[in-house]
Amino acid sequence: MKYAVGYNISNVTGMPVRFVGFPFPVAGQPQEVHRRYVRGNDMLSGKPMMQTVIDYLTKPRTEEEKYTGPAPAPTPEPRFLPADTEENLRRFFKEKDWTDYNPIILPTAEKVNAMLEGTSRQPDEVVVVLTWPGGERKFTVEKAAICAVMAGARPEYFPLILALGTQVGSFGNSTSSMANIILVNGPIRNELGMNYKGNAMGPHNEVNSVLGRVFTIMAKTAGNIHHGVTTFSTLGSNLQYNNLCIAENEEALPEGWKPYHVRMRFKPNDSTVTVGRGWTYISGVGEAQKAYPPHLLMRDYMRSLAAIGGGTVIMDPTVAALLKDNYGMETKDDLSKWLADNVEKTVDSFFGNGVAATMYIPMAMQGLKPFADYLEMPGDTLIKPLSARGINILAVGGEIQTTWFVTDFSLGRPVSVDEWR
Amino acid sequence: MKRMLVCTKVLLLVAALALISNPSGASEKITVMNPAIANPAVDRVALTKRLDSLDNKTLYLVDINWGGPDAAYGVFAEMKIWFSENMPGVNIVLKRKSGSYMSDDPALWKEIGEKGDAAVIGISG
Repeated sequence: MKYAVGYNISNVTGMPVRFVGFPFPVAGQPQEVHRRYVRGNDMLSGKPMMQTVIDYLTKPRTEEEKYTGPAPAPTPEPRFLPADTEENLRRFFKEKDWTDYNPIILPTAEKVNAMLEGTSRQPDEVVVVLTWPGGERKFTVEKAAICAVMAGARPEYFPLILALGTQVGSFGNSTSSMANIILVNGPIRNELGMNYKGNAMGPHNEVNSVLGRVFTIMAKTAGNIHHGVTTFSTLGSNLQYNNLCIAENEEALPEGWKPYHVRMRFKPNDSTVTVGRGWTYISGVGEAQKAYPPHLLMRDYMRSLAAIGGGTVIMDPTVAALLKDNYGMETKDDLSKWLADNVEKTVDSFFGNGVAATMYIPMAMQGLKPFADYLEMPGDTLIKPLSARGINILAVGGEIQTTWFVTDFSLGRPVSVDEWR
Repeated sequence: MKRMLVCTKVLLLVAALALISNPSGASEKITVMNPAIANPAVDRVALTKRLDSLDNKTLYLVDINWGGPDAAYGVFAEMKIWFSENMPGVNIVLKRKSGSYMSDDPALWKEIGEKGDAAVIGISG
């Protein structure tokens, strides 16, 4: 609730809005629950809800509420923290919620300077300007280097971390408990020794591990993502420890299946990192079966995940080869199109998802297609809610087993790593 | 031999004391860099002037469409009932804004400015 009474007022809206706090959840509740909320107490003041609403509409403004003009200067953040013992500093970093609560490397100037050797960029160059929460905050190369040290990175990883840092403002943050995905493509995978073969998604490689971790550390330091202050995920996501950090096994893609960055119009020799957001994934579990080949099972599973127009399939390269050689999927686009044409849900099931309801019902009410059409249909009508453009196909893994994951992650646009070397 | 053992014991004691007083340099102070960025607030805009009372006033209750059509709208519908029972002099207008909770709705803000006296807008989380 600090979100409403403190943070939002001083840093986000600019207007000292008078908030009342209804209990949650509000969505999906029977009318009796809504009635109880209205006739109960305001969660913020503890006073009767309706009397508080009336007071807020009629009580004269305070002097602070009348103020228009520049905001007070922010509390300065010195470049160096006051000297202290290692033990105290470790405790301090945890108290500030700057870590993922696993041990960090303390960012001494010596270590940060060594990290800065990993790029030609100057320490004061801006990686990205963050605009939420609060006013503009410049995330500089030096701040990124501090985070990289904390996460245990080596200087050679730093260009990749800087490219990733450009995306820190889009770190998944929703009461629905979002997660992130980080995808690396191009030569940087091999330069750094990322693992995109066997156990690629497990804890078996330093670069994969550190890169995934540094994104969370950047979000919790520069990004100001703190539980109970700026993030209110009801369950949270264990995936945020590593942010599903993967590299594509480009070398094992069947002919005609382009790596993600090439599909997004980068050159094969460009190195890129892509960030996406979603919630979860389902495993195909075990080896593919002739009687019910992988694309059919992917279709079935995607029905469960089809929430907001897309998804990402992460498959072992053997699955890609199987689909190409035996089921006519000559390219990734063929599989994306086939899934978009064959994944069906009922209208009720589609709008039964809270994110779809929040995003698409208002659009339907504005008359926007296809959502307006969906809303006119009987609830048990089957619709095809996915678009081929929104379905991404990735090959990752050690060519050991014909296993795959279907996910609801939407991928963003790749970011050049080479520009940050 | 006995003398050697005594010397060894003394040396071990000194080493142990040194470890206790400064276990791997734990009391040594170090300086580290600050990962945080100063968090400026956005420029401030004053809150709109409040009403003297709600009697005979028009109050808009606006659902911003977060959580689907049955979330905030149901709460506002209950608020409307409460007003009809407890403050019937207040004219309640229940509205859904157009578009998602992230999009603007200038037409509705204009309507409220022209026809309304106050608005309660929500609910999201």
